[in-house]
Amino acid sequence: MLSEFLVITVGAILVNNFVLSKFLGICPFLGVSKKLDTALGMSGAVVFVMTLASLVASLVNKYLLVPAGLEFLQTLVFIVVIASLVQLVEIILQKVSAKLYESLGIFLPLITTNCAVLGCVVLNAKAAPEAIQSTWYGATIYGFCSALGFALALILFSSLREKLDLANVPKAFEGTAISLVTAGILAMAFLGFSGLV
Amino acid sequence: MSDKPRKFKGGVHPDDSKALSKDKPIQDAPLLDSYKVIMHQNIGAPPELLVKKGDTVKKGALLAKAGGFVSVPLHAPTSGTVKMIDKCPGPTGMAVPCIEITADGEDEWGSPFEPVADWQNTDPAELKQRVWDAGVVGMGGAGFPAHVKLSPPEGKEIDTLILNGAECEPYLTADHRLMLEQAEDVVLGAAILARILGLETAVIGVENNKPDAIEKLNEIASKYNVKVQGLPVNYPQGAEKQLIYAITGREVPIGGLPMDVKCVVQNVASAVAVAEAVVKGRPSIERITTVTGKPVVNPGNWRFRIGTPVEKALELVGGVNEQPAKLLLGGPMMGIAQSSLGVTVMKNTSGILLIATDEVSLYTSEPCIRCGRCVEVCPMSILPATISQAVENKRFDWAEELNVMACIECGSCSYVCPSHRPLNQHFKRGKIEIQAQLRKKK
Amino acid sequence: MNIALIAILSAGVIGIILGVVIGIVAKVFAVEVDERVEGVEDLLPSANCGGCGYAGCADFAKAVVGGDANPGQCPVCSPEDITNISEYLGISAEEKEKMVALIRCAGDCANTVRSLYNGVRDCRSAVLVAGGAKGCDHGCLGFGSCADACPFGAIEIRDGLAVVHPELCVGCENCVSACPKDLIVMVPAAVDVHVYCNSPEKGAAKRQVCKTACIGCRKCVKASGEEDHMLVDGFLVKTNYENPPQPELVEASACPTSALRLASKHAAGEYEGVSK
Repeated sequence: MLSEFLVITVGAILVNNFVLSKFLGICPFLGVSKKLDTALGMSGAVVFVMTLASLVASLVNKYLLVPAGLEFLQTLVFIVVIASLVQLVEIILQKVSAKLYESLGIFLPLITTNCAVLGCVVLNAKAAPEAIQSTWYGATIYGFCSALGFALALILFSSLREKLDLANVPKAFEGTAISLVTAGILAMAFLGFSGLV
Repeated sequence: MSDKPRKFKGGVHPDDSKALSKDKPIQDAPLLDSYKVIMHQNIGAPPELLVKKGDTVKKGALLAKAGGFVSVPLHAPTSGTVKMIDKCPGPTGMAVPCIEITADGEDEWGSPFEPVADWQNTDPAELKQRVWDAGVVGMGGAGFPAHVKLSPPEGKEIDTLILNGAECEPYLTADHRLMLEQAEDVVLGAAILARILGLETAVIGVENNKPDAIEKLNEIASKYNVKVQGLPVNYPQGAEKQLIYAITGREVPIGGLPMDVKCVVQNVASAVAVAEAVVKGRPSIERITTVTGKPVVNPGNWRFRIGTPVEKALELVGGVNEQPAKLLLGGPMMGIAQSSLGVTVMKNTSGILLIATDEVSLYTSEPCIRCGRCVEVCPMSILPATISQAVENKRFDWAEELNVMACIECGSCSYVCPSHRPLNQHFKRGKIEIQAQLRKKK
Repeated sequence: MNIALIAILSAGVIGIILGVVIGIVAKVFAVEVDERVEGVEDLLPSANCGGCGYAGCADFAKAVVGGDANPGQCPVCSPEDITNISEYLGISAEEKEKMVALIRCAGDCANTVRSLYNGVRDCRSAVLVAGGAKGCDHGCLGFGSCADACPFGAIEIRDGLAVVHPELCVGCENCVSACPKDLIVMVPAAVDVHVYCNSPEKGAAKRQVCKTACIGCRKCVKASGEEDHMLVDGFLVKTNYENPPQPELVEASACPTSALRLASKHAAGEYEGVSK
């Protein structure tokens, strides 16, 4: 049991990193990685939403879709669930903790349609029935760890990009081009973790 | 205090070219027709003008009084009349206020104070006031008022007085000759400064490439209980913080002053100025300056009065034998390039250096190749390569985080950079911008 | 058919439930937000130049709605934009004259004495070395610190001289503080006649280092007759922006150094090679 959790943790954070090996959530990965501060905010928001979405979606899947034989509706239902969840969180956060809303708030709408969140939820739903991911707590932990992996990639990348600001980049490579090259090299570095689990 | 000085981290060994002038005895510059004394010769507040056009002044008379605590008065270099108060080229290239004095040829003393007969029994506070009244500043280059260093704030204890005779800048030999020819005055100045600070002793730090000066000082030093310390030859050995480390092993914290580690550092030339102010009753109106460089016909060490135009100074030494490419006030590492020959000798002008055309190489600055040589030689252990890139991209917040303010602008990094990056210029810019931001916040 | 119906129904039900929940939560946790902030933001140029003194357009919009700022403070907005914002908020805007930047130097490489400089290509760094490698202590160094600071690309570096294109300039004043020589001032866009020199030195001294310096000959002052269109300040003449001259003055006064210029022609490069 414990070893299974360890495998999920290491696997989700390093080996099957959402951004760098599954290539999910590339949009915020490139969009909000210009500064370390915003990357940290975004990471926090993603961790929060992804964990919550994994839990709720796994419950909806297990107790609603599967018994009714509606697995083919997964994508549709999950998107609706995630979107409303983000909306709810945003509304509640704004009222309950204005400070947290200030730091995470602007990133929340960005996550609504983040494919990393949907991907994580779908992967949970597709897991074999005997796998730990098919239980609600397994799914939650998988969601949390995947989000940590996303956060790791985002923070690493934003630190790199801050340094890139100081570099003399050839004109043809300026901006997005050099960022993508860097992301590619970072992904290659993460390839070194394969086989760890 | 150990006898063996420590070696500070980093540093470089440029060709010192001191042979050009180190055996040339100090000569007195003859009286000129007129002097242009730059008003603001010290770090801190500018002095307040006391004379007006047409006034007659005696040699050593007050031209301006101190404009605050961190400020020093200014005295007339010779007797004569104030011709005009105008702007003239300053050491930074900008026009600055200056007082032009036409000499009457009498060169008659009119010092505002009398010699102190028995300094060993005079109140230290009175001696300190004399140092201030005489307008003594750090004559090694910075021009920091000497009396301010001698006034540690309440609660700061001072246990070491260091006299800086390292003279690590290439080409410059003014302090070397001074220590050799006026060793008595240097040691006397050290003793007076020690009395002001309430200390029994003082240390004179001299680089080992001046064995004759060390020997000469040693002969006299014991008379006043002063110690002479030979130092390894390594640029920038004469930088305040490096000197303190070499002699005491203490490190001045970033943004701190020598007094934070219980030290006071004064230049040897300042010590001589102090000795003259106290014992002879003369204000600081002259200094030893090395005029040197390949284009100079007859390089040497001269005693110039402040306000001597560089143009005249070069004439005195016999002119130049080729058109120089650069004129620097100070040494080649830290000296300031000048745009005009009209600039005049100031209290902190330790050298007038001409660089020949064939000695100047024009490089274009290439991108940093991250070889790390600048990091290796940086005596302050900061990261010149990264900081320069931060400044280049106007990320002054980052430069500040990387401690650009700790930079002493010694130029070692620029000296070794294989990509010829103007690192030092970037740091100067960064420091100025950060200071401006700090002022804005206040 | 059956399964399709179930699918539609259940998806619909989930949607309705979530919608209702969000609706209720939104009501319960409602936070008062002034919608007008967004409205004003939409009407602003979104250039985030900071010319108004606030941190970007959103911040400015908040201040305008809160009554702390006047829409007229936005230097980029055209008069119509400002009227629109004022109408939207139902307040009256203060009338504002359009200002543009003026770089008071015409000394390009062809007309000035410059010394060899091999350091950082940036004006604010270049002044650290002997005050800038230009014979004139008050002239444009031409490394383009102002052009870098301009978010609208209104400043061009032409032959070592920064030239403002008045039609592109919106008057955000970002360039003013970028110039280490304090050469840039804001002038009314309606005035076309300017003196392109800012050196207070004596005429002869200026002439030695620059062919296009204002030598203070006062020809333009005389040409403007009784009217004080031009003001004399030491060895320097300045346009009187309170009572500006007509463009014809430039022709009439025949400035011997062509320091007196029309901004429109200066920007178009029509004065190149005219100095005598």
